[in-house]
Amino acid sequence: MPSTQTKSGKPDLFFDYHTPFDADETGHFGSYGGRYAPEMLIPSLEALDDAYSEAVRDPQFQNEFFYHLATYAGRPTPLYYAENLTKKLGGGKIYLKNEGLNLTGAHKITHCIGQALIARRMGKKRLIADTGAGQHGKAVATIAAKFGFECTVYMGATDVARQRPNVFWMERLGAKVVPVEFGNKTLKDAVNAAMKDWITNPDAHFLLGSTVGPHPYPSMNRDFQSVVGMEVRDQISKAEGKLPDYLIACVGGGSNAMGLFYRFLNDETVQMIGVEAGGRGTGKLGDHAARFAGGRVGVAEGYKSVFLQDESGNIASSHSVSAGLDYPGIGPQLAYLKEKGRIEVVAVTDAAVLEAFKLVVSTEGIIPALESTHAIAHAVALAPKLAKDQVIVVNVSGSGDKDIFIIAEALGDDKWRTFLRKTVASYDAQK
Amino acid sequence: MTNSISNKLDTALAGLKKSKKTGLMTHLVLGYPSRERAIRLAAELEEGGATILELQIPFSDPIADGPTIMKACDVSLKSGTTVHTALEDIAAISRAATIPVVVMSYYNPIFAFGAEAFCQKIAAMGVTGLIVPDLPPEEEANEGFLAACNRHSLHAIRVVSPASTYQRLRLNADIASGFVYTTSRFGVTGAKADLDPRLIGYLDRLRTIFRVPIAVGFGISKPEHVRAIHGHADVVIVGSAIIDFLHPSGDNSTNRNIPAFIHSLLSR
Repeated sequence: MPSTQTKSGKPDLFFDYHTPFDADETGHFGSYGGRYAPEMLIPSLEALDDAYSEAVRDPQFQNEFFYHLATYAGRPTPLYYAENLTKKLGGGKIYLKNEGLNLTGAHKITHCIGQALIARRMGKKRLIADTGAGQHGKAVATIAAKFGFECTVYMGATDVARQRPNVFWMERLGAKVVPVEFGNKTLKDAVNAAMKDWITNPDAHFLLGSTVGPHPYPSMNRDFQSVVGMEVRDQISKAEGKLPDYLIACVGGGSNAMGLFYRFLNDETVQMIGVEAGGRGTGKLGDHAARFAGGRVGVAEGYKSVFLQDESGNIASSHSVSAGLDYPGIGPQLAYLKEKGRIEVVAVTDAAVLEAFKLVVSTEGIIPALESTHAIAHAVALAPKLAKDQVIVVNVSGSGDKDIFIIAEALGDDKWRTFLRKTVASYDAQK
Repeated sequence: MTNSISNKLDTALAGLKKSKKTGLMTHLVLGYPSRERAIRLAAELEEGGATILELQIPFSDPIADGPTIMKACDVSLKSGTTVHTALEDIAAISRAATIPVVVMSYYNPIFAFGAEAFCQKIAAMGVTGLIVPDLPPEEEANEGFLAACNRHSLHAIRVVSPASTYQRLRLNADIASGFVYTTSRFGVTGAKADLDPRLIGYLDRLRTIFRVPIAVGFGISKPEHVRAIHGHADVVIVGSAIIDFLHPSGDNSTNRNIPAFIHSLLSR
């Protein structure tokens, strides 16, 4: 059982942790968040909220959650001192929280386990999920296989076409993958399709995959993911005898960033930086996913936050080399933390990400996901400006194994292209 | 709460009550299949016997709509519909219509425009009410949307469903204005062959909770649906079925006889 620190200082239930930046009872973080959902969804959201509130007060639930994290997901993940990278940059010490070592290769499995346990308590038999590149979908399909849920994953048709490996694994894991042919045919359209399925089938559980959407999802997924920050607290205290000076995480919807940040929000000395996808670096709508640079406050997909949108309030398409950051909205608590000045948000371009990727792979032997590499790229820029005793913790939210096709293409690897051609030829020859 | 709003919509609803007829609210997506065709469609719907015109402003993320209306939104947006062109078309339709017009929009286009300015603008065009499906009563404290509707004598029409609990229905009944829009079944919009068998009992229960007239939509596509609901609701809402009729799969013609189709839905 993990030891946790609460305001009163006594070890208590893991989930009994609060900050001045939490949502009110109706899920509002200041003016962000809320539950902007059609009336048809409200009863399902209320039931989920009730089940969640009850579960987090139940020590048995907590035991189960940590049992599966330890025996199935592979927690705790290591906090690794990136000594080579630190020396090369000649400034602050860089630590990498290697979430890529979780089952399914990313932090996502953590809130999937949490929600699966809630769904089971509620007697649900079926899971509905949305997915962008398929990472979240794969994590949901994985826990659906483990816990015996029927599983439907909605995925934009464009994403289905370009992320075949994840579709392949989801189908092997027993999930039904439904290509979404509407809108931009990407993540936000998959979220819409999944919500419609839930409206039509309220007896299923909608396993929303980030700290976005209507209340209680932003708070619930944050609470599950806050295991990451709790582990880091323990690990960095042992390694450095102090708290970190900087926490850096990439920000798509916000699950890995909130996971790392949340348990440090009460520690004023810890500075936090979220890194958005600057994409092509033009600043043009459709060329990036930097919501704070190019977005406005709006309401979509059940919550109020900062969205990339056109003048009529239509949600815009975004771009990033990393599919997981390619999303036009941002978690409402992150928008609130930004407004309150508690976190800083910066953007890093695709080009800078590829440079940082090459650097970290060759110096540390760690292959980070392109999403996470955004955070590393900012750490690479920041570290030389810091004193040698200052400490940066970067959340490497996932492994880059999944990105082999994108990275090979981005690096123009001819041998990889030849390999693909030969593989197809041999596959065809067998038919 | 009973508000003091009284406009053309109330007159139409009172007329239905008096004549003991079931009214028909017809839905269209502005800019679909084209701006000009949608405006002409509104006139044809009235000619066919519609009681109320519901004009939807297309949105990129219509979470309460099924495939038919989603696709219509998509086509409309891709052909260049904006809130500004939609407002121009609402003005044109309102000018020509003798029956009341209500506007349906997801909240973000209204929020982006400014709720107060939006309400002022459509009220000045003669619009009688606004249907916003993704704005539950709990968000009023933040948005002040109902207050803006009130200031401009627009009915803020609530949307409920058979999935709504008694408490949810009560909460919505307290702020209901004009009429209450209820879905006929679990799910999103879209024409269906059969109505949910539990519908009649549900509608009769709504009567005991809401003081305003009841309009029922989602899945209504045949004269027998309209007949089955007679006496249990005041207005039936037809949306996807009109789009399906206008554009049957594989048929690119948009000149099918809409007045006759509407007339046939109302046949006894």
